[in-house]
Amino acid sequence: MANYEEIMMISKDNYMYAMIRSELAWVLGEENVSSDDSERLGHSIDYYWIPEMWHDRGKTPPAPDFIVHPGSAGEVAGVLQIANKHKIPVIPWGGGSGSQGGALPIYGGIALDTKRMNHVLNIDVKSLTVTAETGINTQHLEWAVQKAGYSTMHFPASIACATLGGFLAHRGTGVLSTKYGKIEDMTMALEVVTPTGEIINTLPVPRHASGPDLTQMFLGSEGTLGVMTKATLKIHPVPEARKFHAFLFKDMHAALAAGAKIMTSRLRPCVIRVYDEAETAKLIKRVLGIDKKGAYLVCGFDGPLKMVELEIQLACAICRRENSEDLGAEMGQSWWDNRYKFFYPPYTFQLPQAFGTLDTVATFANIENVYWAMKKTVAGNFPQATFIGHFSHWYEWGCMLYARFIIDAPPEDPLAAAALYNKIWDMAIRAAIKEGGVINEHHGVGLKLGRMMKDLYGPAFKVLAGIKASLDPNNIMNPGKMGFEGI
Amino acid sequence: MNMLKYKDVINACRFCFMCRHLDTVGNVTFKEADTPRGRALILDKICMYRKNLKNPDFVDTIYKCALSAACRHHCVSHYDETGLVLAARRDITAAGFEPEKVRQLATELKANAGVELAGGSGEIIYYVDSYSAAKQPEIAEAFRLVLAAAGVSCRILTGDSGKALLTLGYRDPAKAVAVKLRDAVAESGCNILVTSCPASLDAFKNDYPELGVAFDADIRILHTAEFMLELLEHGKLKAGHNKKDKVCYLASDFLKNYNQLGEIPLKLLQKIGAQTAEFGTNREESYAAGEGAVVYDRLQPKILKLLCNRIASLADSPATDILLTVSPYTKYALATFSEKKLNVISLEEFVAERITTLAPRLKTTAIRARQRKRRARNA
Ligand SMILES: Cc1cc2nc3c(=O)[nH]c(=O)nc-3n(C[C@H](O)[C@H](O)[C@H](O)COP(=O)(O)OP(=O)(O)OC[C@H]3O[C@@H](n4cnc5c(N)ncnc54)[C@H](O)[C@@H]3O)c2cc1C
Ligand code: SF4
Repeated sequence: MANYEEIMMISKDNYMYAMIRSELAWVLGEENVSSDDSERLGHSIDYYWIPEMWHDRGKTPPAPDFIVHPGSAGEVAGVLQIANKHKIPVIPWGGGSGSQGGALPIYGGIALDTKRMNHVLNIDVKSLTVTAETGINTQHLEWAVQKAGYSTMHFPASIACATLGGFLAHRGTGVLSTKYGKIEDMTMALEVVTPTGEIINTLPVPRHASGPDLTQMFLGSEGTLGVMTKATLKIHPVPEARKFHAFLFKDMHAALAAGAKIMTSRLRPCVIRVYDEAETAKLIKRVLGIDKKGAYLVCGFDGPLKMVELEIQLACAICRRENSEDLGAEMGQSWWDNRYKFFYPPYTFQLPQAFGTLDTVATFANIENVYWAMKKTVAGNFPQATFIGHFSHWYEWGCMLYARFIIDAPPEDPLAAAALYNKIWDMAIRAAIKEGGVINEHHGVGLKLGRMMKDLYGPAFKVLAGIKASLDPNNIMNPGKMGFEGI
Repeated sequence: MNMLKYKDVINACRFCFMCRHLDTVGNVTFKEADTPRGRALILDKICMYRKNLKNPDFVDTIYKCALSAACRHHCVSHYDETGLVLAARRDITAAGFEPEKVRQLATELKANAGVELAGGSGEIIYYVDSYSAAKQPEIAEAFRLVLAAAGVSCRILTGDSGKALLTLGYRDPAKAVAVKLRDAVAESGCNILVTSCPASLDAFKNDYPELGVAFDADIRILHTAEFMLELLEHGKLKAGHNKKDKVCYLASDFLKNYNQLGEIPLKLLQKIGAQTAEFGTNREESYAAGEGAVVYDRLQPKILKLLCNRIASLADSPATDILLTVSPYTKYALATFSEKKLNVISLEEFVAERITTLAPRLKTTAIRARQRKRRARNA
């Protein structure tokens, strides 16, 4: 079996290693360039199941040759210029919490860790915006904004794990997205270092008629089109009230109908979540202690107290009309209080289990079909897998399905385990696409789903590939991800 | 290997990112390795292939950890990521793979081991740790004034507690030191052991029993914050001098994250009518400058500088804010390693300045000097 010392791609014995390191150190300072084994190990595994499993089975995943910590856009540009000169891959790395293998250094190269760029640069209390460097941990960002009396309203379960840049790169989302939007709705403007090392800014406002929107082009680009170094986001006053209410429906269908009705009535909940019967029985029971059969729904509203009370009253009336059991405000509040608990060990799924989040999004007309297509595909082809799902992040027109599969005892052989894992994705995601779903809603594409991008986009993928080729002629930026060419 | 006893922690932490925002060192080095996940991955690798125990990069990372336990405290299931690092250090020293600077520091600590109990009377021993004794004498001085005002006499115990050796991974030598201290206390016949040093408090309360050298069950072990609060509650001290200056309380890792006593100093401050202001942006992060690693100034001076600079950067106005610490180590670290000058005061000094009965007696040289300094700075 490989041991840790065997995986250097540019051998430390090769004098080119020393040459490149010196160039990087000249730009960044010696202390911000590393190739030590601790750091290489840390950057070889993100939150994607395959490298975790690989490590668990005693194997060594690919690691970067260098890890660099630039402190500014200028330093990022310097690194990209060196990488272009030597044609070395550069893989932006924020918190490493991405679940799609997006930050993995699959060809070695330079892991460009953004965390040193962690400053809040400005809080504009007149326009209600914050400008920050993208390496900032999003919990730190939220704390800083809260100290000024506001909130980003970006509360993903990985708020403490991830960087702002990671969320921008994956079009991430938080639990209050139904009212406050996904990160792409929150973003006003970006500073980006292009693959060839130019520092550019997108337009200062997100709504305009001054040509296509560059901000939206870089959002979701997963480090393939450059490094986002600064972002301006909307912020919000802390609401006077935030209230929750929970219901139990006889089945998921009834709960979904109620959720859709709340949205199409144009109420503005900050949260709606519907758990299918399986997840209600498994996770809601385990984390919230509600041991009942059916589908759990929680909804929440925030804002001025009077508005919250009125909206919650109207939403509750809709739920009651669907013959639900009223679990009360307490059971809704308990969900909010425990919203992150689901993601801490031992409440989260853990190896040796194999598990994956098949999140997708579709219109209200299609979403149930997407759910059943995925569920039947997983259950019909992989009897060893359990399928559970919930619906979070609701829009005026549809909602997101956060489906998961879990296999308690995947094959011991790592290649066989990876093959089984990939097959589930291949089949389940394609089944979702057929019914009007997409390959992902907020976790991104990365290495995990890249192979399906051409299927999803059809001929339109050429447009994306053309943008990539023109911005990154040497294909140094995160090659082999998001369906783009590897090296 | 000791770390195998923590296999559940390795398994939980190795792929978990949920507390990384609180890793004291990770927040200033920005390194993936300097997080509970990064360290658990390393230790998992070592458990899989023992030869990795001698990998100097891995060993260095384990000795960079500041052991603040902020991550363990935050963790929903309180997985003992701190205990895991301590166990790994024991394995490293047992195999003889510790870095040279660690070995040298341990040799020095072993050479200087020994305790001294000064004469006097009373049921109370005040243990003066080495940072208070050598670097911050004003803390013990202020505490003695507080005791005098309350009419309480005490005996002074100095010397090593063994805590530093223990955190460096030297269990047996630490135990030998602990035995000496425990015996000295036992022979004195005292029944209250008070210290200003949260690290020593933690050693006495948690490590000594674990090492098999617990104090007699009827000896109460208290931090000075607890003791002074009792004096106030029993009416032996009275708050006076209603000074208007606000203080920002910097919690101690050992009081808050190891012993769940983080609120005691705040209660005390409230009791004496002090106005407190929140420091930084949150109450979870450690602002104790590497206190958990006990001798971090000796072990990782470069990182300590970064830690102190981060704390300074989080102060609303570093030049004028009064930062109140309950740890002699933290006071020393912030005063010495921060690039920006910080206004740090210990709880003992703060209380001493505000006790009515003490007012005429307060003009000790140390306190006068500090007041002069602060006045000069403010001017
Ligand atoms: C416990 C847990 C819960 C999660 N819950 C949520 C959730 O509620 N909502 C959600 O949206 N996601 C969630 N995620 C997934 C993950 O946190 C997000 O995908 C997040 O956006 C990743 O950010 P990161 O900083 O960790 O990025 P990384 O994993 O380091 O990188 C992700 C991708 O972004 C690229 N990248 C990183 N920074 C930049 C930059 N500055 N410029 C250009 N490209 C960059 C990388 O190259 C990579 O392709 C969760 C993850 C975990 C571990
Ligand atoms: S201590 Fe808890 S939260 Fe932190 S990494 Fe370990 S399991 Fe996760």
